[in-house]
Amino acid sequence: MKTKTLSFAIALSTFAFALSAQAHDPKEHMKDAENPDCSAMKNMDHSKMDMDDPVMQAMMKQCMQDMQHDEASESDGHADEEHEADTDGEESAEE
Amino acid sequence: MTARKIFSFGKYLLIAAGVTVLGGLAFLYSGLYPMGADVPHNTLTIWALETLRERSIVRAASDIEVPEDLGSSDHLLKGGADYNDMCAGCHLKPGKMQSDFTLGLYPAPPNLALHGDEHDHDEGQNGQVRRFWIIKHGIKASGMPAWGPGHDDERIWNMVAFLDRLPTLSPEQYQILTARGETNVDDN
Ligand code: HEC
Ligand SMILES: [Cu+2]
Repeated sequence: MKTKTLSFAIALSTFAFALSAQAHDPKEHMKDAENPDCSAMKNMDHSKMDMDDPVMQAMMKQCMQDMQHDEASESDGHADEEHEADTDGEESAEE
Repeated sequence: MTARKIFSFGKYLLIAAGVTVLGGLAFLYSGLYPMGADVPHNTLTIWALETLRERSIVRAASDIEVPEDLGSSDHLLKGGADYNDMCAGCHLKPGKMQSDFTLGLYPAPPNLALHGDEHDHDEGQNGQVRRFWIIKHGIKASGMPAWGPGHDDERIWNMVAFLDRLPTLSPEQYQILTARGETNVDDN
């Protein structure tokens, strides 16, 4: 039946469109996700690292995960959280 | 008589204005304007456009407030991953000095991995607010998209936080900070 094919085509294109509309969810970027290259970290002199520097803290976090040091309680994901952007024109970030 | 003088002066002004408008229209329709991105603006146009842009952003962004603890490591990590995915192609990254976009776009996207020397307005809170606004709303008739549709304010602030530190990063640090890895999907 022609209408069947047609409605299938419409459903398919709607689906494709819906997918593309979500393209900016962080999960979408996972396809080409790189792993942190922590070898540079390992060769660093740990005594010279400034642990108060957020950049250093962030690197430690990335590389802790890499080295399987479990910090699960601190960084358990909210990966399932929906984020339909609340673009109600509000400029302030604090909710 | 002075009133008469003023009147005739006004008449000439009106005629001059009319001629200017007609001349402008004639230029528009003539097709003489070089539309290509490979023909730069002249100095006067650059000045006018930049003034227009900066004045507009200062006014539009005037009541935005910077969230607290913006510089924390969590914000850096989230902002870094997003920057790498969505911005580095145009705005580059440590160790990368050009891309097809920086070569071909006009106005060219600035290298955000370098300390902005000409952009002294990017320091401190004003700079953060300015960048937040630009990222959220984009810039008309330039390659800079509005990221507000599809990205909530928090994600945009995370990128602002990352941009603050980006010029200080080595290529190795950049790689570690921006890698999404397996476990860093949490987007809260
Ligand atoms: C397609 C290329 C392109 C992409 C992708 C892009 N930008 Fe831009 N961006 C531009 C261009 C071009 C300008 C300069 C516009 C102008 O000069 O009027 C700009 C300007 C900016 C500025 C203002 C710089 C300044 O100090 O004047 C910021 C901040 C910025 N972009 C951040 C970002 C962020 C963050 C992302 C990723 C979410 C991003 N851009 C993605 C092209 C791009
Ligand atoms: Cu995105």
